[in-house]
Formats: sequence, structure tokens, C-alpha cells
Amino acid sequence: MRDRCPMGFDERLITAFLDGELTQADEQKVRLHLERCPHCRALYEDLRRIRNAAMTTGLPVPSDEEWDERPRTGASLTFRLLGWWLAIPWVIFVLGYALWEAWRGSQGAIVRIMTFGGIAAGALLLLSALLDRLRDLKTDRYRRIMK
Amino acid sequence: MSLPAADVPSDEMRLIVRAKSGDAAALEELGAFCRKLAYVLALQLTGNREDAADLAQDTMLRFFRSLRRFDPRRPVRPWLYRIVRNLARDRLRRARVRRASSLEELTEARGNDLPAAGPGPEATASRWQLQSVVWRAVQELPVHYREVLVLRDYHGLAYAEIARILRLPRGTVMSRLHRGRLMVRQAVHASMQTGLAGEEAADA
Repeated sequence: MRDRCPMGFDERLITAFLDGELTQADEQKVRLHLERCPHCRALYEDLRRIRNAAMTTGLPVPSDEEWDERPRTGASLTFRLLGWWLAIPWVIFVLGYALWEAWRGSQGAIVRIMTFGGIAAGALLLLSALLDRLRDLKTDRYRRIMK
Repeated sequence: MSLPAADVPSDEMRLIVRAKSGDAAALEELGAFCRKLAYVLALQLTGNREDAADLAQDTMLRFFRSLRRFDPRRPVRPWLYRIVRNLARDRLRRARVRRASSLEELTEARGNDLPAAGPGPEATASRWQLQSVVWRAVQELPVHYREVLVLRDYHGLAYAEIARILRLPRGTVMSRLHRGRLMVRQAVHASMQTGLAGEEAADA
């Protein structure tokens, strides 16, 4: 594939011709050149196909619900994930332990685990939500739109 | 960056005026409309959903922060696109590694899954393949070529509008667009040749 027009034609005009951005005189000049130059005709056809492919490419956009559920900052997302990672095994562990202790008839350890584990997981989730709220509070208008 | 008032659709102008006066419904409508536009442009510039969503949120923050100063006789898109582009530039400059997703990942569909439109399934699959190759090539362009090409070919803006958004002379827009398209063309040719070579090897 040759890079340049063998007749030395300014190929940028072909791009502008494709986009309808030329004056009538320049358009006529490009038309006449395309009739005589197979190199530029091939270039024009390729660019036209590429532009059409780009113009018809559709991209999905998140729904309103997805926007509302998004964490607002990286820090809030980290805290939220950490909170959930702590909360899930904590619930599993507490339930297992509670069953075990219930079978044995002792409750002191369960109360300790529930207190400290629950507070840690709850605090992280709360911190995550708080960070989002603080960010929303920066602008009133934005908060009204997002909610 | 101003355009004659006649170029701004009257619906858009009315919506901006209402939003500026604090009308909650207008603010909501304007926010939803602009957020979509911002997201799509951000996705085209960054190439991945997470960055695009973050950029769209940051864009909307800036957008509403400066809405009071905005002249409703001006079109909203250039202003919005300019914010997205500036934020995208900052982000791309900071990022050490850019993670651009393929079109398949973004749309979670293949050519064969798309509804048959136009001449038939083969043409649809071939169009999808070309769209996918073009998308990948555009994502690999240097950012100053990518932003011009995205604004022209994906958003259909005129050279004068792109020049205003990017604050470039119109001739530079035309040169960058042409250079960017040539790079994409080269990538498409290379990809098609690889594809043909692969098919031939598979047939042998």
C-alpha cells in the first residue's frame, strides 16, 4: 500500500470532501482528481467505510438505577467492599459459633464476637455511605439530579 | 465558543433557562440527558466503562457548578464535551496504563447475536467485525488524534465545532482527523490481512 498520492494531491482534501467541509470549488477539484486517480479513489472508499463503521457503532449506557447504585469515590468503594468482605464471613462465623455454643450451653463468647465484629463491619459500611453523602453535599444542584 | 442563537434548538434553550431558574424537573431532565452524552464521549476517549462512569460523574459536578454562568443562547454540547475532554486528558495523563476494552466486552454481544438489519446476517457480521476493528484502532491512537476522530466520526460534529471545543485552528482539526483516519485505515488493513492469513491457515 503506497502512502502518498502518486500525483502529489493533498489527501487531507479527501477527508474534508468526505465530511462535506469543502467549498464548491475544492469539491469540484477533488471530484475531478478522484476520477483520474485510483490510489485516491481507494483511499476515499476505505475512509468512507471506516467512517460509516464508526458512525453506526452503538454503545450501551448505564441505566438510572445503575447510576444511583454507584459508589461516588474510590475510597468509599474500598470501604464498602472491605465492609462486605468482613460482614459476610462474620455472619457465617457467628451463626456457626452460635449453633455450637447453643449446643454447649455457653453465651459469653458469642456476645463478644457479635459486639466487636458487628461494630467493625457496620462502621466500614457506614463510612462508605458517609463518604458518598459528603461528596454529594458539595453541590446542591447535583444532589437533586442524582437522587 | 459562542454560536448564533439561531443554531441552538429552542427546546434546549428553554430547558437550560428552566434549569437555571431552579426548576427540579428541568434539572433532572438536563442532568439525565447530559450524563448520557458525557458518558458516551468519556467511554470513547478512555475506552473503559469504569473510567467513563467516573468521568461522567465528575463532568456533571462541574457542569452544574457552572450552570449559573452558562449563556442559554449557546449550544450545550460543546461546553459539555469540553469539560469531558479536559477531565479525560487529566485522567489519561495520570494513568500509567490505559485499559481499553474491546467492543465485544463493552456491548457484551457478538456479530452473530446482533439483529439482522439491512442485506442479511453475513453483511451484519461483517459490519460488526469492521466496527470492532475500527474501535480497537481508534483506542490505540494517540489521544490528540483520537479526540478529533471521536468528535467527528462518532458524534458527527462539524470541523468548526471541534475546533471550538479543542481550541484548535480548523486546519489542524482537518490534518489531525486525516492523519488519525490514515492510522485507523492502516490498522484495519493489517487486521484484515491477519484475519485472512488465519483463515487460510485454518483451512490448510
